[in-house]
Amino acid sequence: MNDSTPLHDVQGLLARGYGSLPAALFLILGFDRIEPTRAWLRRVVSEITPSDRRPERRAVHIAFTASGLGKLGVQSAAMASFSNEFADGMTTKHRSRILGDTGASAPEAWNWGGPTTPEVDGVLLLYACDDHELAHLERDVAAVEGMSVIARLETSDLQGREPFGFHDGISQPIIEGLSKRAAPETTLRFGEFVLGYPNEYGRYTDRPLLDHTADPARTLPREPATGRPDLGRNGSYLVFRQLDQDVFGFWRFLDAVSRAPDGTPQPDLRLKLAAKMVGRWPSGAPLTLAPEADDGSLKDANDFGYHQLDSPGQGCPIGAHIRRSNPRDSLDPDPGTAKSYAINRRHRILRRGREYGTPLTVDQALQNDHDPAGTERGLHFICLNANIARQFEFVSGTWLNDPKFAGLYDDADPLVGPSEPYGGTFTIPSDPVRERVTKVPRFVSVKGGAYFFMPGIEATRYLASTDTR
Amino acid sequence: MPHQTALTLAAHVRPQDVEHLEEMLRSMGNGVANGSVIDLGSLEGVHFARFVLLPATADLQGQPLDPLLIYMSDLDVPVERHLAELVDGAGAGVDQLFGMCDDYPHGAERSREDRLAFLRKQRVKERAFYVNTVGRTCKQIRQEAELREDIETFLDGELGNKDPSAVASALRTHVAGDNSLAWALKPAAGLSLSFRIREFVHMVGVPLLLLLVSPFLLVAAPFFLVALRLHELRDRAPHEKPPAQLVQELSALEDHLVQNPFTAIGFVKPGVFRRMTLTGVLFAIDYATRHIFNRGDLAGVKTIHFARWVSLDNNRRVIFASNYDGSLESYMDDFIDKIAFGLNVVFSNGFGYPRTRWLVADGAHDELAFKDYLRLHQVPTRVWFSAYGRLTNLNIATNERIRGGFTGHASSAPDDWLQAL
Repeated sequence: MNDSTPLHDVQGLLARGYGSLPAALFLILGFDRIEPTRAWLRRVVSEITPSDRRPERRAVHIAFTASGLGKLGVQSAAMASFSNEFADGMTTKHRSRILGDTGASAPEAWNWGGPTTPEVDGVLLLYACDDHELAHLERDVAAVEGMSVIARLETSDLQGREPFGFHDGISQPIIEGLSKRAAPETTLRFGEFVLGYPNEYGRYTDRPLLDHTADPARTLPREPATGRPDLGRNGSYLVFRQLDQDVFGFWRFLDAVSRAPDGTPQPDLRLKLAAKMVGRWPSGAPLTLAPEADDGSLKDANDFGYHQLDSPGQGCPIGAHIRRSNPRDSLDPDPGTAKSYAINRRHRILRRGREYGTPLTVDQALQNDHDPAGTERGLHFICLNANIARQFEFVSGTWLNDPKFAGLYDDADPLVGPSEPYGGTFTIPSDPVRERVTKVPRFVSVKGGAYFFMPGIEATRYLASTDTR
Repeated sequence: MPHQTALTLAAHVRPQDVEHLEEMLRSMGNGVANGSVIDLGSLEGVHFARFVLLPATADLQGQPLDPLLIYMSDLDVPVERHLAELVDGAGAGVDQLFGMCDDYPHGAERSREDRLAFLRKQRVKERAFYVNTVGRTCKQIRQEAELREDIETFLDGELGNKDPSAVASALRTHVAGDNSLAWALKPAAGLSLSFRIREFVHMVGVPLLLLLVSPFLLVAAPFFLVALRLHELRDRAPHEKPPAQLVQELSALEDHLVQNPFTAIGFVKPGVFRRMTLTGVLFAIDYATRHIFNRGDLAGVKTIHFARWVSLDNNRRVIFASNYDGSLESYMDDFIDKIAFGLNVVFSNGFGYPRTRWLVADGAHDELAFKDYLRLHQVPTRVWFSAYGRLTNLNIATNERIRGGFTGHASSAPDDWLQAL
């Protein structure tokens, strides 16, 4: 990455999560008729927010599934040069196994993106400074003709907490050229997130190159070695998953297992158990640094490793959510070394999710027999990466969902992982011997999802053009 | 206690029966063997086993190669005994499968001896064989897993005194009081003396012989290096993406258990140089796996249970087959991140492998070219048996350590031992 990186062509969602634009709306789209869709896209392109601009009132982003790109006329040879994961989509049987999309989370039961719901072709992501502005934005850019809104996904501003009540979004990869400077062991190459640039292996990730004749107007950048138009350059894969969080069930389960033998509730123990599952206290303070009690002064602490401070996991359990979604320096073969960090760096994702639904407090969950708000709540999980298999799918499958992570036996991620038929144990390393919670139910289920490609802005313009391809 | 053995059979399938055989293999499993036709789980001392059909193809010179039925197993028992068990215990299945192969003895006059003779004739000797931990049997692995389950359940109860040595002694009392766990109080049987002597002689003998011929090797080395670089620069290394359909077919068979099988086959690059290099490399790997990497890891990779390299068709092709923990993506990442040099040394002699430098550099470091090469050469393993499909190598090693605390072989203090639980 150097100064010549065309940030003006990279969609701004890569550079920022828009903390200053708390209102957001995601429209899952189907392209019914292509000419009106293209006409609409030509209008929207000029609204897309680039990475070199920090918007104050509104931001717009767009991304397409493989079927959407096909409908927009991308040649099948170019489609085949996208990654297999993107071309196949999120719902193959094998993928469902590794992503934990089984049982009630199986794609067959999804609200959108599954085999029984309409084919998803694109997603429009809208951000605004307030609800009023968002309503205007939706009216300005939402399409009318030739397209259908398969799902209209609203979001809620939970002030930096996710629905279970924990400070979220603390640990994000530092990207060379995009983010603030940091130590080299935690800084990632631009190509880990954006196609067309060297990745952590110093190589280029699969990218879709078109025929020489496919872009006569020369809208697209050229791939230097072959001179072919590069549809992928400055684009990124966007993974979208609608994750329903059973906040009610979460706190009631923790309450039940943390009670004294005589049935007395033990709120401190309940909170500690929840924190053990997350790996951070509600404020965000990591258990590795604050093993006994929450410490607000550590709410954003992120500069720590596990190997020196907490190798056996008596602070932050090996199976805790944050330790397995980002094992930092604890990976084989040489934990605590730069080599371990180097392996970790190849499996990072840039998270851009937003919460949805009405919040539910611990007390509300415990004092009622059923959910008083009566609504669904959760996270519209969104992440960006350049290699879905090595980044998003690896983190989900090998780190979060695999009950065998780091030598464990039957411990899937206690917060977000599946618990059936395996994985429902949560082991808490302690003195002199571990404690464990068994039969942990599944608290997060999947309601929809798809793999999208978020093209560079010029590439989006190319897709919108009416040139015969 | 026996050491582990490997059996590989490669039988030529009659071309007219290929489709039927393919159908039969499909009926036997969908990534994991379902026990029909041959119940591999009923045979003694089988860690892993698989049947794979290699379709007819043509070699790099265009010479046709017959379709082959491959059987591979990783065993605690001598190969002869396993063959006898196959014939005696699963004879009908053996008849059904191998009956579609050339030279299988005919119907009525077919005797036990005829079948055994046929199977022996199909045997191909492995060029190199890796065992995660030499001497650890299936039975030991299963028993120690049960032991751990039992004490974990015991620990879920009220412990009372929480002093480490008190907890440790409560565990020992509990296990000592259970007759069905009596075996746990003494260490697992060691390797036989004769095996250890044999291995020792090999371990010392090979370097001694190499020392004897070392003057010749030193003279040959510069010529070898020049030839190597010339080959490396000249060899074609096209980056070919596997067809999406192939990837889907392969991945549909994966991730049903906590382990997976990997079977891949490729052509050795043409010419004497590559063939000789490969012979030397596989000899070195076999030496290393026998004497260095025989206790828990293969050059830092802990996820592999068993692996083997087998030459076929007069050394024109090589099969690599392994049983590993986790997903293929994580397996390939382990390869690239931890033992790229080792893979380069072997696989760069294979046709189509990403370009290497000095035999060890580059190659697998070209991440996607390497991953695509593996997928492109992988063959579907529909019928695959694992004796302990819910245990990873890390689990098995921890279980062994837990058992060590009962046999007096635990080298560590009680508080350290208890952390293994």
